[in-house]
Parts: sequence; structure tokens; C-alpha cells
Amino acid sequence: MSRRLILAVLVAAGGVAQADDSERPKAEPSDQIIGVSLGLAIGGRLTPGGVRIAGSYHYQLSDNDWFDGRASFTFGSGAPACFRDRIDNVICDHGMIDGDGVEISANVRRFFGRGEYTPFARLGIGAGLVYFGGDRVSGIAFPLHAGGGLRIALTHLLALMAEAELEVGVGVFNRDIGAQPQVGASIAAGVEFNL
Amino acid sequence: MRFLVPLLLVACQHSDVSRELGARCLDSTECDDRCLGPNSDWPGGFCTIRCEQDYDCPEGVCIDEEGGVCAFSCAADTACTFLGPGYHCIERDARGGVTKRMVCRGG
Repeated sequence: MSRRLILAVLVAAGGVAQADDSERPKAEPSDQIIGVSLGLAIGGRLTPGGVRIAGSYHYQLSDNDWFDGRASFTFGSGAPACFRDRIDNVICDHGMIDGDGVEISANVRRFFGRGEYTPFARLGIGAGLVYFGGDRVSGIAFPLHAGGGLRIALTHLLALMAEAELEVGVGVFNRDIGAQPQVGASIAAGVEFNL
Repeated sequence: MRFLVPLLLVACQHSDVSRELGARCLDSTECDDRCLGPNSDWPGGFCTIRCEQDYDCPEGVCIDEEGGVCAFSCAADTACTFLGPGYHCIERDARGGVTKRMVCRGG
């Protein structure tokens, strides 16, 4: 008897969950989303580039806008590329996929319409640490982010995401390098889960 | 906007020297290959790379010093002023040949 009761409760609970889930259109992002992405960041000079892994949390702000908080980690080459010129200024000429970085950023993502394929734009500001191991150069960076992408809803809970972005900002570095521009771009793809 | 202009200028900065050739150095960790000096022959230190022929050098020519190293070629002392005080245009034996080369060097 008790076994039947437990089974009935489970079936009922499953039915409620199913009903809640099916009430939401397949393409609709929920008010809270988490995501993870993998991509390639292009930097240069004192902007790190390489493989970029990011995790994000999205919270609905209005009909079309979601807060997008994210943490990203960039892993590039550690090859040295800084030198002292003849008047003793330190100059760094790193390649596009050199250096490491970690950053947290606050963004706003705006969806354009609703559908299985939903384009979006993203604007944000970040703060992070940058490190070029081969040159013992490190610094703090404050980049602005602007990008866009496409969200592809697969199920009520799961979506794929692809995006590209530009970042422009400033970094402050050790070894008397001082303030330097941060200019980069990235592409990424990932998955997102409606909570 | 006033803040961005100096940054963009810095972003476009260019140097006549590099880790391969001509950068100041105290030891080889500051260079792609090796550091000459710093001493009176190479004031401030001089990053260079090993060579056997001129074509081994990304810039300049290969001279018969320290087993063969690259140096900036020149025609007169004025061509060496970008390297700083102590550098002059001096004749040296070419590496891998019997000819001479005019190069920027101290001493």
C-alpha cells in the first residue's frame, strides 16, 4: 500500500514538473539561466589571447534584457616577448594567443524577438588579472565588452549559444610599463540551461 | 576621449630594436638568443642572434665576433645614434667570408 502511495506521489510530481516545463514555449529563455562556453580569444601586445573558458549566470531584467554575469579564464602561450628599447622603456610585442587572464564581468544581454533561433547583443564591463609568464609581466585590466550572437533552443531547458565580441579597455602593468590599451576579440560557443 | 588618445598612441608605438636584435640587456633571458655586454664594446647590452652568414640575420649583417653575431650595418656614425651613446660605425670582419662590414658597435 505504502509502495503504491509513493509511486502515486512520484507520478503526480513528475506530472506537475512536466506541466510546468511544457507551459514554457520551447524557445523561451527562463528568468534565470546558467551557461558555460569554450572559445578562442585574440589579443596582442598586452592583451591576453588563447583558449577561453567562461561560465555565466543570467537573470531576467525586463522583457528583452537579461543581466549576464560571467567569469572567464584565458590560457595562452607563455613565450617571452618583452624587451627594453635603447632608452630603457619596456616594450611588449606579444602575439595574438599569448598570455593568461582571469576576468569577471557584468553585462546586459538583449534578445531580439523570440524563436528557436534568437539573436542577441551584449554590452558589459569587466575587471581582471593579466599575466605574461615568460616576461614576468602582470597587471589589472578593465575591458569593455560589446558583442552579439545567436541562441538556439534545443529543448525547454537546454540551448546552444554562439557569440563573437570585441573588447576595448585599459590595463595597468608592472615593470614600469604602466597603463596600456587592451584590445581584443573572441568567438565562443556553449550551452545554456534554463533554471 | 582625451583619455583614449594617449592610449591609442601608445598602442601604435614602434621600436627600431627587438628581442632578436638591438634591445638593451643584462643577460640572455632578455633576448631571443644572446646578450652581448653590457660593456664598452656593447654599451647598455645588445641583444643579437648567432649567425654564419648575413642571411641568418633578420636585419643587419653577420660579423666575425663571439663566434658570429648579427649587428646593424651602417655607413656613418649618424646611422648608429638610435642605439644611444657609445655606438659608432666601425669596420669589422664579415663572418663566413674575407670581406669587411661596417657595423654599429661600441669601442
